Amino acid sequence: MKPIVIAKNLTKSYTKGLLALDNVSLTVNQGKVLVVMGPSGSGKSTLIRTFNGLETFDKGEVNVLGIKIDPDHNERKIQKIRKRVGMVFQQFNLFPHLSILENITLAPVHVQKRRQIEAEEYGMYLLSQMGIDSHAKKYPSQLSGGEQQRVAIARALALKPELLLFDEPTSALDPERINEVLDAMRRLAKQGMTMIVVTHEIGFAKEVSDQVLFMDSGKVIETTTPDIFFSNAKHERSRKFLNQLDKY
Amino acid sequence: MTNISISSIIIYFQKIRRNLSSNLFNTFLSLVLLLIISLVCLNTFEWLIFDANWKVVGSNLPLFAFGSFPSNEHWRPAIWIISLLVISIITLFGPKWKWLRKNLLMAWISTIPLGLYLLYGGFGLTPIMSRHWGGLTLTILLTTCSSLLSLPLGIVLALCRQSSLPLIQKLSSIYIDVMRAIPLIAVLFFGQLLIPLFLPVGIEIDRVWRAIFAFTLFVSAYIAEDIRGGLQSIPKTQIDAANSLGLNQYQIIQLVLIPQALRIALPALTNQSIGLFQNTSLMAILGLVELLGVGRSILANPEFIGQYIEVYVWLAFVYWLVCTIMAVLARHLEKRMTINPANF
Amino acid sequence: MKKSQKIFVQFGICFFVISLVGLLINNLTINLTRTGLGFNFNWLFKPASFALAEHPLPYSSSDNYAWALFIGWLNSLKVIVSSLMLATVLGTLIGFARTGKNALLSLLSAGYITIIRQTPLLLQLMFWYFIGFLGFKDNTFIHIKNIIKISNQGIELSGLTLSSEFSALLFGLGIFTSAYIAEVIRGGILSVPKGQWEAFRSLGLSEKKGLLSIIIPQALPAILPGLTSQYLNLAKNSTLAIAVGYSDIYAINDTIINQTGRAIECFLILLTSFLLLNLLICNCMEIINKTILNSRKYN
Repeated sequence: MKPIVIAKNLTKSYTKGLLALDNVSLTVNQGKVLVVMGPSGSGKSTLIRTFNGLETFDKGEVNVLGIKIDPDHNERKIQKIRKRVGMVFQQFNLFPHLSILENITLAPVHVQKRRQIEAEEYGMYLLSQMGIDSHAKKYPSQLSGGEQQRVAIARALALKPELLLFDEPTSALDPERINEVLDAMRRLAKQGMTMIVVTHEIGFAKEVSDQVLFMDSGKVIETTTPDIFFSNAKHERSRKFLNQLDKY
Repeated sequence: MTNISISSIIIYFQKIRRNLSSNLFNTFLSLVLLLIISLVCLNTFEWLIFDANWKVVGSNLPLFAFGSFPSNEHWRPAIWIISLLVISIITLFGPKWKWLRKNLLMAWISTIPLGLYLLYGGFGLTPIMSRHWGGLTLTILLTTCSSLLSLPLGIVLALCRQSSLPLIQKLSSIYIDVMRAIPLIAVLFFGQLLIPLFLPVGIEIDRVWRAIFAFTLFVSAYIAEDIRGGLQSIPKTQIDAANSLGLNQYQIIQLVLIPQALRIALPALTNQSIGLFQNTSLMAILGLVELLGVGRSILANPEFIGQYIEVYVWLAFVYWLVCTIMAVLARHLEKRMTINPANF
Repeated sequence: MKKSQKIFVQFGICFFVISLVGLLINNLTINLTRTGLGFNFNWLFKPASFALAEHPLPYSSSDNYAWALFIGWLNSLKVIVSSLMLATVLGTLIGFARTGKNALLSLLSAGYITIIRQTPLLLQLMFWYFIGFLGFKDNTFIHIKNIIKISNQGIELSGLTLSSEFSALLFGLGIFTSAYIAEVIRGGILSVPKGQWEAFRSLGLSEKKGLLSIIIPQALPAILPGLTSQYLNLAKNSTLAIAVGYSDIYAINDTIINQTGRAIECFLILLTSFLLLNLLICNCMEIINKTILNSRKYN
């Protein structure tokens, strides 16, 4: 079992002394899916954003794909990580001035210096995997939210990443559009992709994840298998959270 | 069929009636306005058709168009203006072939070297000094050259003002703020006067280029602020996304930020170039014989003395026409871009 | 970028800018010594020996250059303030007419705005001067007893005389800027959400009352910044006074340069004058802004 992400005692504080991350440690092994749950403002997004250097931290250490970053981390190392880690955002964050295919080929062409034709071929392959190859020439604003999020997944996959980070990928979608994105994520998990997913989707977590990590106010409350977490959570705080989720 | 059209006409008139006479005061106001408008229109048309002496315009048309450009070489600026018109028409009404649309931007940019070549001459054409340039040709040349030069300068200034390096940020802020505080005519006047003083002995730049440089220095400060506005309105998440793809700082600026900022700033930028076109008229009081300058020199001619109204109305019409064409082109571009951003 | 890199880059740029400025100043001194002019401000206290047609304070051609420049600055201020008032009143009226319900009035104001905005200000100024004021064939255009008299001598308003140069500038600048102010007002009114109109109408408020107490207070925060920038533009545009022969600060600088050749010094003087003017306008608008916002207790 090769560990892909190891975080040790991560701590990050905001200006007012509030802790965004409070001594967080975790390990994700190759081919595994980790689901991160917790109420809003609990530090879930901050946590996964530290894994590709979008967020800095004050104490502790992160090791992603064998590359170590510490609080006074080095730009070059983060750049190396970003080339091997894909990320999908809540608001899709597609580039509105580029077509769907250009969105996908941007990083392969400019970061990996691949040839345009080669990048386009692979981009079309990814789009067909996501079932949206007919939209390749369109622009993000012409697509529905679900379609845009699938494009965003394809964009993240274009660099052939060894780890995918999902930051609430379905929270901004209409309810009837959520499943098309979750299906794409399920397929990726089946293909053996290592994934860290911040989400509120219980169904997805039960079915796909290997591990569930529950956070509250910057602390890890518990880390268990989904079976135990959803049927028999140890902590009072987790049970309360799950109860509230069930009501919706 | 007729029934429908009649009823729709009735509804249309009812709408107008409702619009103009929702109450007694409104009805009264509308009637008075109608009366005034018809009186003014009647008088204006009467003057335009019967009273005005258009000979001052008609006999000087080549002068308005080309200034004192040698008359046997008039075809050169004429070709240039016609090519500009043709490209405008193609942009607006031309076919939607992809290769054509893709090369349109290049075509627009290449009109400037074409214009300079046609005006200056050389390489097979008789060379003509810039002091013979004039009229609408010179006005358009000043506008296009200064626009083209000030856009890149404006982008650089905007980026510098957003820079995280305090020194660069301060320097460009000072430049932009000072430039925006002084009147254009001062910049142009001192451009004519001071640029030669700052150059090494022996190097001279002619009046037209001094004007173009002064316009460029002035307009780029305004363009920088427009582009900065565009940059600021791009959501931070776009930078997150670009970072997560491993793009470096320069790639993010070049591939993600600048193209989006230009699109957002496009309406403001076109307003700048329309303003620039109007402001080239300031050179008339600083010794260039551009469109307004030609008007002034014609009014100084004893043959046409005192015919202010005809000349000024004609000039106003020409300026209004070109500005309107520019505005329509700009609106067309904006519309196309909101439908499909590829048509930039 | 690393800290050391940042310092290095800044140092490099600093070096570049300093050497560029040094090169330019070097060229300048060579050119100035060639023409025999140094750089100093002693000439400011020599007699100006040119006459000024308009001077709000006593002035004669034996007064020194500094005093002439100050008179010019006052002349600028005078024309700026008066055309600013004209532009504001006119612009507000046209802005409301443009957004109002009367379609004819709205169309008319739209026409006014486009015609004014699509022709150069300089042309408009010349139009007002040569046709509007100097062009009256029988010398007097309007003469109502002793109250108002408009002629090719300018405007006479019950004792107050305005020269034709000043009047042309007043009308030209006022009308030109009013078209821009109208657009600012319109933009401000349109920035108030439609729901606000529906809300006051559904409460049974009259259009006038609703406009005054609901819409305008909400539109003001959007209008004031636009208004400030139009006032600044007006101040800068007032330098076109030279085209009609009104002696404002720019025209006087121009005359002095023609007389003495002191281009660099005059440029600096003009720059300071305008920075002062801008500061004045910005501060006044800031005070107005604050009093309005405070009196309404927004947020």
